[in-house]
Amino acid sequence: MSGTTNVRDDLGYVRDVVSRSERSVFPSGIAYLWAAIGLVGFSLIDFAPEQVPLFWTISSPVGFILSAWLGWRHAREAGQESRREGHAHMLHWGGLMAAIFLLYPLIAQGALQNKAIAQVILLFVTLGYFLAGVHLVPALKWAAVAMALGYVATITLDGFAWTVLGVLFAAGLVVSARAAGDGRGNARV
Amino acid sequence: MATRESEHPSEFPERIAALDSLLDHRVRLAICVLLSRYDRLSFSRLKELTGETDGSLGAHLRKLEEAEYARVKKEFVGRKPTSWYALAPKGLAALAVHLGALTDLLSAAQG
Repeated sequence: MSGTTNVRDDLGYVRDVVSRSERSVFPSGIAYLWAAIGLVGFSLIDFAPEQVPLFWTISSPVGFILSAWLGWRHAREAGQESRREGHAHMLHWGGLMAAIFLLYPLIAQGALQNKAIAQVILLFVTLGYFLAGVHLVPALKWAAVAMALGYVATITLDGFAWTVLGVLFAAGLVVSARAAGDGRGNARV
Repeated sequence: MATRESEHPSEFPERIAALDSLLDHRVRLAICVLLSRYDRLSFSRLKELTGETDGSLGAHLRKLEEAEYARVKKEFVGRKPTSWYALAPKGLAALAVHLGALTDLLSAAQG
């Protein structure tokens, strides 16, 4: 039986090596980028609501492209490239963006108005981060929890609720980034 | 369990013969499994993941290259020269056969 014991030991070693390779795929720069975009974008609802559509229409696609570039650069620097993982991220976040853009007809028809528009988009984004936490980067669940708390704030608070949300969103992403590490030997998921 | 005569230990030699001698070493097996999961990995990343020294890892990779199981491409990442390794089709086929034989062997041993 010592032969099969050796085989089991070897397979255990292989499993550990593969498991280590799966822990370090989250570039913290992406989290900090969206923390900044979210902090400004959500706070604008309290301070300059007329600027909000323009801000998000520009920052969403620009942030998406910058994130893809940061992810590609991180993979090269970490020495681990995977088209399959890149494809999964593109589909996930691209799908989320498409779903949000598909809300425009409902807004144009008046089915969604005022505060409800931002709240529905917020729910989409919260679900997007939660599912990313389940399927892609476990640490992103912290960002989803922060966004869910922010959603509650937009319902219960009268003043500066969106600024509170922006701060929670940014804090959640920073916590997620620190929990996930940057893939070069720091703290990992 | 009594019907598993076809998986009697007397068939172990056959199963062992199906194992790939090159992939019998756990570090080379781990390298090939990693390369089958990702498009390509750098030498530094493989070293970090396997915990091997430069010399030992280099020797394992050379054997995989010589058998045409793995391919290497040298590029600059920033200003740093980097050796990128990818699994060749021959390596992927050998890995599939080897893992199948290992699975059979373990199933037979469990009876």
